[in-house]
Amino acid sequence: MTQNEPSRLRGLLLVAGREIRVRGLSKSNVISLIVTVVIVGVLAALPTLIGGNSEDEKIGLAGDTAPAMQAQLEAMGGFDITMYDSADEAEKAVEDETVDAAVADGSLYSRDGVGNEVEAKIDAAWQAASVQTNLADAGLSDQQIADALTVQPLEWVTLESEGGVGSTLDYFTGLIISIIMFMMLMTPVQYIAMGVVEEKSSRIVEILLTSLKPWQLLGGKVIGLGVISLVNLVAMVAVGLGVSAATGMLDDLPAGTASAAVSTIGWWLIAFALFGTLAGGVGSLVSRQEESGSVLTPLIMSLTLSYLGAIFLLNAPTSTFAEVLSIVPPFSGIAMPTRMAITDVPAWQIGLSGVLLALAAAGALALGSQLYKRSVLYTGSRMKISEALRRAA
Amino acid sequence: MLEIKDLHKRFGDTVALDGVSLSAAPGEVVGFVGANGAGKTTTMRIAMGVLAADSGQIVYNGAPLGVEQRRRFGYMPSERGLYPKMKTGEQVAYFGELHGMTKAEAKRSAAELLEQLNLTDRMGDFVQDLSLGNQQRVQLAVSLVHDPEVLILDEPFSGLDPIAVDVMGNALRDRAAAGAPVIFSSHQLDLIERLCDSVSIIGNGRIIASGSVDELKAKEVKQLRISVDADEDLTAKFTGTVTRDGDDYLIEDGDDQEALRIAAAAGRVTRFAYDQPTIAEIFREAVTR
Repeated sequence: MTQNEPSRLRGLLLVAGREIRVRGLSKSNVISLIVTVVIVGVLAALPTLIGGNSEDEKIGLAGDTAPAMQAQLEAMGGFDITMYDSADEAEKAVEDETVDAAVADGSLYSRDGVGNEVEAKIDAAWQAASVQTNLADAGLSDQQIADALTVQPLEWVTLESEGGVGSTLDYFTGLIISIIMFMMLMTPVQYIAMGVVEEKSSRIVEILLTSLKPWQLLGGKVIGLGVISLVNLVAMVAVGLGVSAATGMLDDLPAGTASAAVSTIGWWLIAFALFGTLAGGVGSLVSRQEESGSVLTPLIMSLTLSYLGAIFLLNAPTSTFAEVLSIVPPFSGIAMPTRMAITDVPAWQIGLSGVLLALAAAGALALGSQLYKRSVLYTGSRMKISEALRRAA
Repeated sequence: MLEIKDLHKRFGDTVALDGVSLSAAPGEVVGFVGANGAGKTTTMRIAMGVLAADSGQIVYNGAPLGVEQRRRFGYMPSERGLYPKMKTGEQVAYFGELHGMTKAEAKRSAAELLEQLNLTDRMGDFVQDLSLGNQQRVQLAVSLVHDPEVLILDEPFSGLDPIAVDVMGNALRDRAAAGAPVIFSSHQLDLIERLCDSVSIIGNGRIIASGSVDELKAKEVKQLRISVDADEDLTAKFTGTVTRDGDDYLIEDGDDQEALRIAAAAGRVTRFAYDQPTIAEIFREAVTR
């Protein structure tokens, strides 16, 4: 038997490994992961499924403006263009359903109108093509026409310095981040408490503590369930992004999505350290699974409040309430990444919030492990926190 | 050599241990006997480091016992515990690894032990699906999987079926033969008598009697028992206090050599020995004193 290895780390990793094997690879977890992944995949594919306009719009063109129109429409993409020699032929093609619509001699032919989006595009193409044709008729060279048509896009100046919600897509990004943060904290927190009570109620903790320190046992459990949650999170993100990429939606996501995802993982890690160790600490106060709900209530309440606060914050990201909520721990764990997704947050607020949350997590780590150390071997009725802290370790 | 020295422990107003000392030499099997609530479990939990003493210390091979050494001990707590939703083989091996074995060593050792315990075909089952008796065997495997240097077992025989009792008894003797100190508590005094080299009896948090089994028995020796094939009644001839137990003569405070001569002269002596008390009698005597 080799005894000289760094046993402290090994003990921690053994405990974490057991959690991952037994809980992460359990049937229930694998099934719930598959179900979640399928739901995420379907949600990601939904815009494409509902939109259904993956097929190009068939457009017939005829008349003087036809070449210019063709150039404009091809530049926009999404059109299958057929050129006709005359307006009559184009009209006939619409009647025969060879094309969906046709533009000829200043008229738009269709069977029963065209969709809003198609109409807008054709309208824009028509105006640009008309201007181009008119300018050419006026005797300008192609270069002159090109110069005249080059337009600088509008520069946006927002007078409300911190801005409101950028766009609907940002709003949904924020909403999804708050939901995922909530789920990714709630589930492992309950599992940690359940695991602690399981070891306590089955008395196995007494054998474990002859070869492990309490911090290894608690730390390993928190790390193990953290890894399981991270894997679930990564699987969801990978499937979501993969399906988006496959359906061509990926390009439409806001530019900051990737960085938002990364910073969310950072916030999650700190918040999880906070809630996870506290869950272990309060879990050790009771000896039976039925009692674990009562000691977990304060944690679940503050998680739920954080979530509800983040949802409220989505509609008023610049309010004082939103600022306070996203700085004060433990609410900041969910509120700050949500707020960051929908609006620009001053760097000092992000920094302050991060430091405060990390401090709170360090405090929770100390409190949780002390509670755990002092009460994990105590069996009987539920222990009060004050009583646990008074006890000698 | 494992020495438990002068342990004191209070739970609130209750004095659980009041100066308990106990020791087990290499190769020695020590039986730890006492009524419920006498302090056996508390003593063992302190020895295993799951409970802190108010004062006193645990010394192993001349130095205070440390965490690393304690990991090489085998422990069975009185309250049995296993992970219900973990596979049997995996669970036993996990405890081997926790005690410092490599993954391969732990796996091999777990498989060997479970085979000895007739549990090989249950290795892939969840512990919660085993019968209570089989769970007890798994518990035994958990305490022995890492080939422990010292064994501290709280009621290891309670709830075991006869086969498991034999396996457990053999395991204790094997470990002792290999030089390990073994301390176990039990209410089954016949097992203590059969397995132990020495016995410590605890009552109300104090050791009230201890010593080798022979010493204890000698201390408590009662009377000389003589059986003789003789027609005449020898009661009057023997010196000392003589009583009859069936056909036997029981002599206290007499001269045993003279009694032997008298008996041999009267007829064939079929029995001549001092009655020895059983451990059970010694125990009863000690606790009622």
